[in-house]
Amino acid sequence: MKNNLILEMKGIQKAFPGVKVFDNFNFDLIKGEVHCICGENGAGKSTLIKMLSGAYLPDKGTIALDEEVILNNTPRLAMGKGIQTIYQEHNLYPLLNVVNNLFAGNEMTNGILLDSKGMIDKTLEILDFLHSEISPFDIVGDLGSGAQKTVEIARALIQKSKILILDEPTSSFSKKEIDFLLNIIKKLSKEGLSIIYISHHLDEVFVIADRVTVIRDGEKVNTYLIEDLDEHKLINDMVGRDVSSFYKRDEAEISDVFYKADNISGNGVTDVSLFVRKGELLGISGMVGSGRTELAELLFGVKEMNQGEIQINGKEVNIDTPLDAIANRMCFITEDRQSTGLFLDHSLVRNTVIASYAKSTSPFVLPSDDVKISEKYIRQMNVITPSVFQKAMYLSGGNQQKVVLAKWFATDCDLFIFDEPTRGIDVGAKEEIYKIMTELLRKGKSIIMISSDMPELIAMSDRVLVMRNGRIVVTIEKSEINEENILQHSIGGSE
Amino acid sequence: MSNENSEQIARQTRNSFFQKMIQHENATMFFVLVLIIVIVFFVDFFSSGMVLSKAKFLSGLNISNVMLQVAVTGIMALGITLVMLMGDIDLSIGWMMCFVGTTSAYLLRNFGWSGWMIILAGVVISVFFQLLMGFIISRTKLESFIISLGFMSIYRGFTYLVTNGREITLGGNFKFLGKTSIKLTPTFKLYTPVLIFIILAILLWLIMKYTKFGRRIYAVGGNEKAAFLSGINVMNFKLMVFGISGLFMAIASMTQLSRLGTGNPLMGQGKEIDVIAAVVVGGTALSGGKGNIWGTVIGVILLGIISNALNILGVNPHYQYIMKGLLIILSVLVGYYSSVRKNNVKS
Repeated sequence: MKNNLILEMKGIQKAFPGVKVFDNFNFDLIKGEVHCICGENGAGKSTLIKMLSGAYLPDKGTIALDEEVILNNTPRLAMGKGIQTIYQEHNLYPLLNVVNNLFAGNEMTNGILLDSKGMIDKTLEILDFLHSEISPFDIVGDLGSGAQKTVEIARALIQKSKILILDEPTSSFSKKEIDFLLNIIKKLSKEGLSIIYISHHLDEVFVIADRVTVIRDGEKVNTYLIEDLDEHKLINDMVGRDVSSFYKRDEAEISDVFYKADNISGNGVTDVSLFVRKGELLGISGMVGSGRTELAELLFGVKEMNQGEIQINGKEVNIDTPLDAIANRMCFITEDRQSTGLFLDHSLVRNTVIASYAKSTSPFVLPSDDVKISEKYIRQMNVITPSVFQKAMYLSGGNQQKVVLAKWFATDCDLFIFDEPTRGIDVGAKEEIYKIMTELLRKGKSIIMISSDMPELIAMSDRVLVMRNGRIVVTIEKSEINEENILQHSIGGSE
Repeated sequence: MSNENSEQIARQTRNSFFQKMIQHENATMFFVLVLIIVIVFFVDFFSSGMVLSKAKFLSGLNISNVMLQVAVTGIMALGITLVMLMGDIDLSIGWMMCFVGTTSAYLLRNFGWSGWMIILAGVVISVFFQLLMGFIISRTKLESFIISLGFMSIYRGFTYLVTNGREITLGGNFKFLGKTSIKLTPTFKLYTPVLIFIILAILLWLIMKYTKFGRRIYAVGGNEKAAFLSGINVMNFKLMVFGISGLFMAIASMTQLSRLGTGNPLMGQGKEIDVIAAVVVGGTALSGGKGNIWGTVIGVILLGIISNALNILGVNPHYQYIMKGLLIILSVLVGYYSSVRKNNVKS
């Protein structure tokens, strides 16, 4: 058995500032197997891949390929040793043709001249092997998602490959493309290539896996042979956190419906209906790519709504732009605070007052009023900063998030849409943000919270909507909210 | 904890005047300006035999001339500061001045329009074309660099069509905007273009400080996506800024026309370089969101004084371009290193 191992990870430890992701993690890969890795959002799958592909170095522990320990791994070294990684997003040159993509940085030459014929022949050979109908001269940007993934696989095969890592390869694929890809993968593993396959889609896992490893919070829960595994067992392993460690939130009184959306579509979201009451926190769950952020953008008027109707306090309203949304007392705390929430190069004063300008009709402002407003909300949010004239870029992640909150508090809104409110924030700041949310609910405000953080979702939500493929698949009431229930609907187990 | 924090905020808010002054974002360039004035003054003083009355540089006559020379560039620079704060650029302004100026001269000469009427015409033409350009840039999100380059060539063609490549003289009409002045001392005159520049600078400074428009322009330039999500209609905002910039271009063109007394087809050629240089030297970032009106005023005066000083000191005029180029590169470098230094200290 031991001789069969191509890859072995032992005692892996990896921490990021404030969070320990892996602690004494072990993993092995057998020659020629398809090994699936399953886990919730944030379980540590991406970190695991990045350590194998050389993007991250483990703090402790060893990675051995063919019983030879790889030291000081870098992306170049890993590729040279035959570990090829295909990430979720396409990583190709869209304006070049297939041949040029396959050999970019790795060209075949005759002396100093390029060996075009050799490269074309080799491309044809590999495309033929993959049973692909792509022409070597197709421009990659014109190809569909599935074909582009095939090109990436072909590129990995051209280089020395012992291990092929695929991270969520089928997102945005059609059914036909998925089947095609899974066939290729099976074929490759039969040829002796070892494959690590990461997917949210359980049906794919059961089709191609030889073994499955479940990870949760950076720990290996179990490794199974596929014959010994069923969906129920898999989901059970993915969940199972200690509920007593969750944040405990005070209850708030829930009254009338404040916001209601009927059959809205657009921006990749199909036929969604939802409502949120005063004093209620509506959680939205789903795997990455299920359309959660897209839904929030639709609600806030960032993207165009193709159809549907929105009511606020029982009255029909039009929300075509963020300006309309703000006028209707809504706000949107985005997922990526640095690129869509803050003006990093500007002072906290400018950051806090800018959205509140949308609420008044007078064209004039007093700089001294701006400072007063800013100081009031920066203090209320308890932002740690030497002064309100500090630039936002110098604050920590948690404090930056509080500045974004201060900006919206200054607009005095009634519906808060949070997208991943505590991503990249340390535990202390997280709790402060939960307290702020609880306080909002107590004042009768409404919250829609999108989150990948399961404990957060369970601790804070009064109701949870689960999304998949741009649709809402289920509404889970308070008493029914638990990890297993949410996860089962998110990844589409047992229907 | 919150108490301590708020005290800290309060303490930082009440910085001493001196501290505020040296921390001000215009401090470096202002210091450079003063330094250059002092150096040029002494060089001039010594080379004129240490007789104060013979030294030309700080004489009333010379000061009024320098001010007159920079006024038109200054008015254009104010408008372009707005465009650049928003993160855009406009290369068409030099040839736009040629086009607007000569067309107005044509209307006065051939149709007998009065001064006020051609001012109105200049404003209409200039605002219309800037709005057209702003419309294309704001709706398509194409690079303003390339769109304005296209417009630049169009204005050039228009200018030659209107003038046939020849000057259109005003025949002694339309003097009030460029050729009048107020005599403040026997040697120091405040020319009308200078007065216009000063009034517009103050007006724009007030607008930037006391209106939402002024605050929002930084937001749009600083982070367009965040600005949009904060309730700013970015498309229409950009359109409006280009319109306002058109107004400044019209005022500058008409002032220049009146000053020259003739619609010269090359009256604004190359002005875009001087203007953009002045704005950049004044500390406005090409990427947008950073800079201010007084910085631009300092930049304009600094470039004006350098050419003037080189003239007075008898330096070959061909060197002036080289000096100007070096100054632009140097000022951007200073800005770069001071921001690098600040970042290092903070983190």
